Amino acid sequence: MSSVWLPCGDYHQNYAEDQGWWQSRFIKGKMLLLLLVVFVGIPVFGGEYGMSVGTMIGYTAMGALGVQLLIGYSGLLTLGHAAFIAVGAYTSTMLILQFPWPQFLLDLGLAYPVSLIVAGIVAGLWSVLFGLPSVKVKGFYLILTTMAAQFITVDFILTQYISQIGGRGQAFSLPPGTIKIGPWVVDDELSVYILMAVLLTLMVIVLANLLRSKPGRAWVAIRDNDIAAEALGINIVWYKLLSFFVAGFMAGIAGAFWVCNTAALSPEHFQWFLSLWLVGVILIGGVGSIQGAIFGSIFMVLVMELLQMAAIPLAAYFPKILVDFAYIKDMAFGLAICAFLIYEPNGLAYRWWQAKNYFNLWPFSY
Amino acid sequence: MELFLMSLTTGIMVGGIYALVALGWVLIYKCSGVLNLAMGELTIIGAYVSYTFHSIGVPFVPAVLLTLMVGIVLGILTERIFLDKLIGEPILAVIMVTVGLSFFLKGLVGYLWGSDTRVFDPPVFDIKPISVGFLQISPVYLWSFILSIVLLIVFVCFFKYTRWGLSMQATADDETAALSLGVSARFVYAAAWAIAFMSAGVGGALLGNINGINVSVGYLGLLVLPAVVLGGLNSVPGAIVGGILIGLLQNFSGTYLDQYFPGGVKEIVPFAFMAVFLLFKPYGLWGWERIERV
Repeated sequence: MSSVWLPCGDYHQNYAEDQGWWQSRFIKGKMLLLLLVVFVGIPVFGGEYGMSVGTMIGYTAMGALGVQLLIGYSGLLTLGHAAFIAVGAYTSTMLILQFPWPQFLLDLGLAYPVSLIVAGIVAGLWSVLFGLPSVKVKGFYLILTTMAAQFITVDFILTQYISQIGGRGQAFSLPPGTIKIGPWVVDDELSVYILMAVLLTLMVIVLANLLRSKPGRAWVAIRDNDIAAEALGINIVWYKLLSFFVAGFMAGIAGAFWVCNTAALSPEHFQWFLSLWLVGVILIGGVGSIQGAIFGSIFMVLVMELLQMAAIPLAAYFPKILVDFAYIKDMAFGLAICAFLIYEPNGLAYRWWQAKNYFNLWPFSY
Repeated sequence: MELFLMSLTTGIMVGGIYALVALGWVLIYKCSGVLNLAMGELTIIGAYVSYTFHSIGVPFVPAVLLTLMVGIVLGILTERIFLDKLIGEPILAVIMVTVGLSFFLKGLVGYLWGSDTRVFDPPVFDIKPISVGFLQISPVYLWSFILSIVLLIVFVCFFKYTRWGLSMQATADDETAALSLGVSARFVYAAAWAIAFMSAGVGGALLGNINGINVSVGYLGLLVLPAVVLGGLNSVPGAIVGGILIGLLQNFSGTYLDQYFPGGVKEIVPFAFMAVFLLFKPYGLWGWERIERV
């Protein structure tokens, strides 16, 4: 936020100005244009396919924002974020399917919104539970405890116990029309896309606001040097756990949103792969910036879509490609992470920042 | 009682294989400070390469030796291509490169060998268990245990008495000092990765003989993480003890806890145990404690 370009001689005079969102009319216009593109442009011109890709990007970004908060802003390495997304998804589904909702709530269409929020809270608390070791350990050890969260939650509790409720075996499916917000039924590409856009916008706003207020400053201080932060009087236990709660909450919302996209739920959607994928997304996008999470999601989803598109014509020559597409995807993802870490460790967000700076000074670079 | 002894012996034997893989992990960490999350994939590669040699008619022991050769080459290549450029980068970057590597290797293995379970054919080890008193031990476990103990002794001697082992220890202790004394750090890192690939290769070949080879062998490779945490990240004996303890823990929980928590409790217990253990002893049994200052 504070890296906004100002004409020579203009200075920010206080923190509020420095952190302000609408620092110039240009930025305001740019953001409004972005919202216009997201809410009107893609639904109108993108068609079904554009919207489904957009939904995928949004879902990835929602998860990645939480990971970005943990890794990029609080310095708490996590490789188990899919577990919290899964907790959110399952909480919301179980509430919708099993909870004895009073009839008036169903009539008002509040079941899904309520379950969305409960899912966020449950996932947040679950994330705090596995964040507890962060009080004592950090770095690599925290990776191990979050990995434990992944295996315990998804491979054990969800697969072996929760999935057995109601005798359905593996997958849960929601009857069509169950997911509605007020009178608005979320059941086709357009409504899912709009719901995604609204949720993602809200999340970005909430996260950006958190980051420029007291908790955000505390998180960054903890990330940079936790002992120094403690000496400055920051309650690091509280802020670390708060970071886990907020990240878990966002993951829960993302999971509850995912339910309305697929209308079916199985532990396979939340394997360790997803956790690693989300970390990869923020590494590619750029660690420590909200834009980074979004750029990373856009990049990864688009690259995978392009790979898929390229695979179909190539399959005429190499028939093995379509069969083994999942493996090729894995390889591409792995190589992308390695290449970015080796050659562009600052991620796409840094490139974006460079490009902006270039055009701010253009055509006279001095 | 019989059940107890059965779980005990099986636990120790399986633990031997984990110890072997954990050894490779600790070596990499000791020499280059890289926390390797791709150990599972290294194990799968070892399993498939030895399987491939075996299936084209090479007897098992030469096949394993050839796997070791391939392991050396792959280890040096991996180090040179991916990790050489990351010396001195932040810990997350290095860990995530190994994660990227694990995706790449997993995809590559899947592409080359497919997802079907492969079985060593003809079976390498006798299926008929050896009876010691009333205990039944299948030969695979026995051999892998013996092999890991032998390799442990070899590694300890290697570290203590050979020139390369000493230079690896020196690099682990203080890279700058080692460099100034003429130790080639790049050589040491390459050697560490080669050794890791080799030990994962042997571990993979043995694990592949137990249940056949598929992607789940890689999951078994992930079990080295609880093992090394338990033993302490930079302790060679710790890796052995940790590996055996994890094997025991798995088998005892499979025997006694399964009736209370049906379904894969065996796979989860090491990770749950690790999460709790970290709260009390974050540096493991014999790891170096680091005192942090501002």
